[in-house]
Amino acid sequence: MLAYLLRKFLLTLSIIFGVILLTFVLFNVVAKDPVRAMGGKQMKETDRIRITHEMGLDKPRFALNFAEYHETGSKWSLLDTQFFNILAFQFPKSQRHQESVWSLFGRKAPISFLVQAPAFVIGLGLQIAIAIIVAAKRKSVLDYSTTFAAVLMMSIPGLSIYLAFQWFFGAYLKIFPVAGWSPGFLLAIHFAAMPILVSVIANLGSSIRFYRTVALEEVNADYVRTARAKGVSQTNVLLVHVLRNLLIPVVTNTIVALPFLLTGALVLEKMFQIPGFGGLLTEAIGANDSPVIMAEVYLTAIAYAIMLFVTDICYTLVDPRVVLR
Amino acid sequence: MSINPAIPAPDQTSTPLEPIEMPNRITGWRLVVRGRLNKICLAIVGIYFLVGLLSLLPAPSQIGLGNVPGFKSIKSFDQLIDYKYDPDQPYAPPALSYKDSQGIRHYSPAMWFGLDFSGHSVFWQVLYGARTALLITVLTSVLMLSIGTSLGMIAGYFGGWIDDIITWVYSVIGTIPWLLLVIAMTYILSSNESLKEPPTHAPGPVAAFFKNILPTDLLIVIFALGLTDWVSLCRLIRGETLKLRDSDMVAAGRALGLSELRIIFRHILPNVSHLIIITFTLSAVGYLQVEVVLSFLQLGVSSKPSWGHMIDDAKLTLLRGVWWEVTAATGAIFIICMALTLLGDSLRDALDPKLRGRD
Repeated sequence: MLAYLLRKFLLTLSIIFGVILLTFVLFNVVAKDPVRAMGGKQMKETDRIRITHEMGLDKPRFALNFAEYHETGSKWSLLDTQFFNILAFQFPKSQRHQESVWSLFGRKAPISFLVQAPAFVIGLGLQIAIAIIVAAKRKSVLDYSTTFAAVLMMSIPGLSIYLAFQWFFGAYLKIFPVAGWSPGFLLAIHFAAMPILVSVIANLGSSIRFYRTVALEEVNADYVRTARAKGVSQTNVLLVHVLRNLLIPVVTNTIVALPFLLTGALVLEKMFQIPGFGGLLTEAIGANDSPVIMAEVYLTAIAYAIMLFVTDICYTLVDPRVVLR
Repeated sequence: MSINPAIPAPDQTSTPLEPIEMPNRITGWRLVVRGRLNKICLAIVGIYFLVGLLSLLPAPSQIGLGNVPGFKSIKSFDQLIDYKYDPDQPYAPPALSYKDSQGIRHYSPAMWFGLDFSGHSVFWQVLYGARTALLITVLTSVLMLSIGTSLGMIAGYFGGWIDDIITWVYSVIGTIPWLLLVIAMTYILSSNESLKEPPTHAPGPVAAFFKNILPTDLLIVIFALGLTDWVSLCRLIRGETLKLRDSDMVAAGRALGLSELRIIFRHILPNVSHLIIITFTLSAVGYLQVEVVLSFLQLGVSSKPSWGHMIDDAKLTLLRGVWWEVTAATGAIFIICMALTLLGDSLRDALDPKLRGRD
């Protein structure tokens, strides 16, 4: 067990190192010059040099030869600095907002969370409930129509669903505000209601399909037959026996989804003008603010890798059958 | 399978191998074609493919992909915001016919789905949008399938440190959420201006091909999608190759002295081809959907006949009552995605039932 965890931990570390290397190559070697991309052609040369120095981009990219060290007078190469900065969770400053990514994150993540967390909880409850009902009534009209409806919902682009809801509930029926945000909890809920509703509906299709397949395996398992044979009622079988075994994929998906509750949804937040972290990324793409994009990629990937590691540990806690080797 | 008994298989000699159950590809395909729903889906995919191929031809100027005569055109959103009511408005709801400036009635498909805010025919845009969709799905799939298949087979067949490296690479790429990685890749590739310059050294027809059919922004989308999406396929094929490596078939090939490349590409590849077909149908859906998101973030294809671009327009025009453009583009994506999903599902069920539930 301990050896397994240690091996997994080292693997996670090596993957995080790979993510840092990959993002470094993408953002500092493949992308031309973030400062030039930000300022455009009208940028003054002095400004360009100043901002380049501020962002620490005037160092050599890799520590390949000592001559480069000598020329620039700096001890570290760009990769070294970025590597150690990220290990210490120090991200470069956003050029557009002139503040660190962490303080931006601290300001914007709660807003994203206020939209994402209810959407996730409501969505998960609905998905599991529908999946269990459908799996229990296998090969009935209800089953076929739900599966077909799930495929239909998966085939509509998310953006079209957002647009349709925004138009129908916001502009036509005028039940919810079309878009916008306001500080203060009650007002925020007033504005967040429609984004929550929309994101629950937009994510419903694929998740129902996934949980239905998982639930089907459980419904046909031997322990369900045994439970029925000893006279447990249908609702009890579904709500106690099947639901508990369904928890394994649910726990996996929930843990992996946790970081995304804070980073928010890209398209949704731009669409409904929610000043969350996902909207920050779309804004950063428009404004060529590459430190923010880079930090978001790092943060999400590292959080995801850590969460996968946590998932492995949680497997043993939820399911005693799983033996880690 | 007959192996010359004089030559022992190099690795396994003592224990007889368990027979591996191979999906029968021909029966599987027959099962798929027999279903009525599958026939409809195949027909839909075929029609889209045909329309896409036809739309690769240059658009005739008189069909109203440009302006319909008698209708104004607005060039920018600034003009649209300032726009006051005008009897011959640039955008028009769907109609069977239209009257030109002399008052003569024309019956033309150009008006069937209405006109968008710049006075362009939505009908022809939907049809010519099939070009972008076809190029993105087919070229991305070719890129993704070739990377995923070859790396997966190499990792599974050779094992050892080669396997370790390939597994590490795809774990790293798989750790970054796909949509985020695609967006970052597209952003990075399009921020590099030297990639955006048209190829100047290329001879005339090649340059014209890249300018008209495969502009740089489309190529960037294709590369960003294709270079990031091979992870799940690679994982599947590696697992399948690991099993095949120990099969009698490969042992026989080794005994006959076939080169390793020949074993991989002539003997293992056909046996993992069902995975390639299934992945192709199901991933094409993802590409069409991501194209919409990229267009929304202004990172997608910038030239107009593109469904993602048409849906993206609606964020400004839908609240002004222009519902037909977004509806037509959504309908086009919806039908092909539904056909591909249903087809992919039945292909998966027929060719490899083990994969069920791995969406």
